[in-house]
Amino acid sequence: MPHETNGPAPRSRTDARRASPRLRLRIGLVLIAMVLSFFGARLVQLQGIDPKSYAAMAAAESVENVILPAERGDILDRNGLPLADSIHGKMVVADPYMTTDDAPALATLLSQRLDIDYFTTLTRLRKEGTRYQYLARRVPSTLANDVLAELREAGYKGITLEDDPIRDYPGDDVAANLLGFMGTDEPLGGFERTFNAQLAGTDGKARYQSGGGNRIPLGESTVVPARNGTPLTTTIDQDLQWFTQRVLNQTLKQYRAKSGSIIVMDSRTGEIMALADGPTFNANKALDADEDDLGSRAINDAYEPGSVEKVLTAAALIDAGKVTPRTRIRVPSSLARQDRVIGDWFDHGNIRLTLAGVIAKSSNIGTVLAADAFSPVDLVGYLQKFGLGQRTDIGMRGETPGILTPGDVMTSQQKDRVAFGQSVSVNVVQMAAAVNTIANGGVRVSPSLIKGSATTEDGTVVGTDVATRTRVVSEKAARQTAKMMERVVDENVGVAPRAQVPGYLVAGKTGTAQRVAPECGCYDGSTSVSFGGFAPADDPRFTVYVVVHAPQGEAGGGSVGGPAFSRVMGYALGRYRVPPTGGKPSRLPVEW
Amino acid sequence: MSSPAVQIRHRVPRLINSKASAAVEKARLTVVPRARTRAPKVPFVTLVTLVLISGVVGLLLFNTSMQQASFAATSLEDEATNLAAREQTLQMELEDLRNPQRVAMQAQDMGMVVPAAPTFLGLDGTVRGEKVPALPENKLDLTPPAPIKPKILAPEPTVVKVTAEPTPTTTETGKNKAGKNKAGKNKVDQSAQGRRSR
Repeated sequence: MPHETNGPAPRSRTDARRASPRLRLRIGLVLIAMVLSFFGARLVQLQGIDPKSYAAMAAAESVENVILPAERGDILDRNGLPLADSIHGKMVVADPYMTTDDAPALATLLSQRLDIDYFTTLTRLRKEGTRYQYLARRVPSTLANDVLAELREAGYKGITLEDDPIRDYPGDDVAANLLGFMGTDEPLGGFERTFNAQLAGTDGKARYQSGGGNRIPLGESTVVPARNGTPLTTTIDQDLQWFTQRVLNQTLKQYRAKSGSIIVMDSRTGEIMALADGPTFNANKALDADEDDLGSRAINDAYEPGSVEKVLTAAALIDAGKVTPRTRIRVPSSLARQDRVIGDWFDHGNIRLTLAGVIAKSSNIGTVLAADAFSPVDLVGYLQKFGLGQRTDIGMRGETPGILTPGDVMTSQQKDRVAFGQSVSVNVVQMAAAVNTIANGGVRVSPSLIKGSATTEDGTVVGTDVATRTRVVSEKAARQTAKMMERVVDENVGVAPRAQVPGYLVAGKTGTAQRVAPECGCYDGSTSVSFGGFAPADDPRFTVYVVVHAPQGEAGGGSVGGPAFSRVMGYALGRYRVPPTGGKPSRLPVEW
Repeated sequence: MSSPAVQIRHRVPRLINSKASAAVEKARLTVVPRARTRAPKVPFVTLVTLVLISGVVGLLLFNTSMQQASFAATSLEDEATNLAAREQTLQMELEDLRNPQRVAMQAQDMGMVVPAAPTFLGLDGTVRGEKVPALPENKLDLTPPAPIKPKILAPEPTVVKVTAEPTPTTTETGKNKAGKNKAGKNKVDQSAQGRRSR
């Protein structure tokens, strides 16, 4: 204020000290220009030279990129029960930089709660030169969150969770050989791998700005939702599959057999309702199992079917009008064919059997004599129509087509052996489908394991939707063959009375074949015993086929396969409420 | 727009002609002072201020509520994820309880046995199927198959063949054994030729 009172005098003094306005303006202009040119230079540096890096740095400050894991599709049984399902899981990750100091305490707590090794955890928590260490994988989400909350409460830092879905097989070993199993990140076998494209789904992505763990409402935000995998529905019945596996396991144990398979098929639709392989494995702990048990032997291994094949020969002969079930055959005690002698499994002199008797008593000689009406081409043609020698393409990996020598290069000796089921190799599904052809009135339905349809890894569409039906033999021939097969389980005339299911008419056929040992590629004296059949014989609903490889002791198709067949068939008939038909048992004569 | 002006021009000369008074003349030439109605400033300023303040406050509140909604959304999302995980875990437990193996074990412990074949009871008292008792022999062996160790954990035993010293007694047994083996082999061969298949 005092300055203001004597205003005029000082003002004039300042005016004098200041340079002329023009000069001042110029200096000011230069200064401003200099400052602005600095700004300009900086602008060029920021925007012109490397504009992206700053934008990226700014984005990294607050933008979060999150992968939304797709949920793997379930594998369901025919009733919609999960055979394999996926649940939320977490991996527990440590930042050793932050956990080194509390490592012992953390390791104690984590090893107790997550059931992991204390010392491994301790080492990882203290690892130097890294900021990312897995501690546990595939921990159920709820447990992982609880543990993390506990850690936070106790004041520990440096442990985080990340998404890590878990694949669970509720039945442990139920259908394990079909389902396959998962490795750390990828499917390693079975349906899991074959139908991975369908099951896997596509991971989604979310990108949003966040502050303090919360999404900024008006910030940048893009979400590509995850597309979950599509469930795969199989034709397997979980309970029946379990029962079948237990029966097989019991049979293998009882006869100390090397391996075996049982298959249950819906006679009318060709749907495989149970396919048991033994020994099997626990799909939840697949890596603990023997590598040989991981695949499906029913699909991957070829073996000689033995006498079960006789029913195919007989049905073909009847269809071609060469024989009838009552055709009389004189069966000598042995049959010399060129340089080889064909014998029967039981010692006999000259006996007189009908064709039904040949089947009931499983006479090789009788079958060979009956099959003399066929040329190799005829016989092989029929067998091919029954599905032998070709893959069934049911969606299983590594299926063997079996071995069926083409008819035009088959010698007559070979044909004789093929007629009773040697010198020809099949897989279990092929053989079951062939026997089922008789059950289904002479029409072969291609077997299927997938309900609806699904595309395999190599692009083949499989499933019930694409199942084919082809007539192989006439309905009359099939019925007559079934009548003959009924005699097999007859107490008085047949070889497998133990395959009977009380109250039901059962048709079946035993088989005992020399087995080729995989170790030497030769017949080592061990056998493959089998039993294939269907019930009720006059209106078949199920076809069950049992094969047991290398049983110990006195074991034949009737004694080993028969009881297993009976149990599985009895259970299946009860489970699907199939009442006895009350039909009259077959009275076909076996001798004359 | 232009028509009223034109009317005035025509009307005014008419007035001059009819009355021709000086007052009118004068009045016509006078510059009419623009009527300025001075609206009170205060209400307007208040209004603008109010609009501004309410706008800013409203925006703030809106933003806050958005933030709060975002917090709520985040926490609800977390809760949903947790609940979904819990549901799945419970589902898994349910599947474990429904596992046929577990159910069968319990049933068999209670003395139940899977029958060999079903029997059907009709409403009229008829019985279809053969009545067979479920016997203890029908019990299924439910013990899960023993876990097979991987080959790497269960290596084949190393067999070292030691040739016994030729003392009189051992030679005899050795011969016997050799003879037996031969016989056994012959038997196998015979069965291979004769019993090709059953």
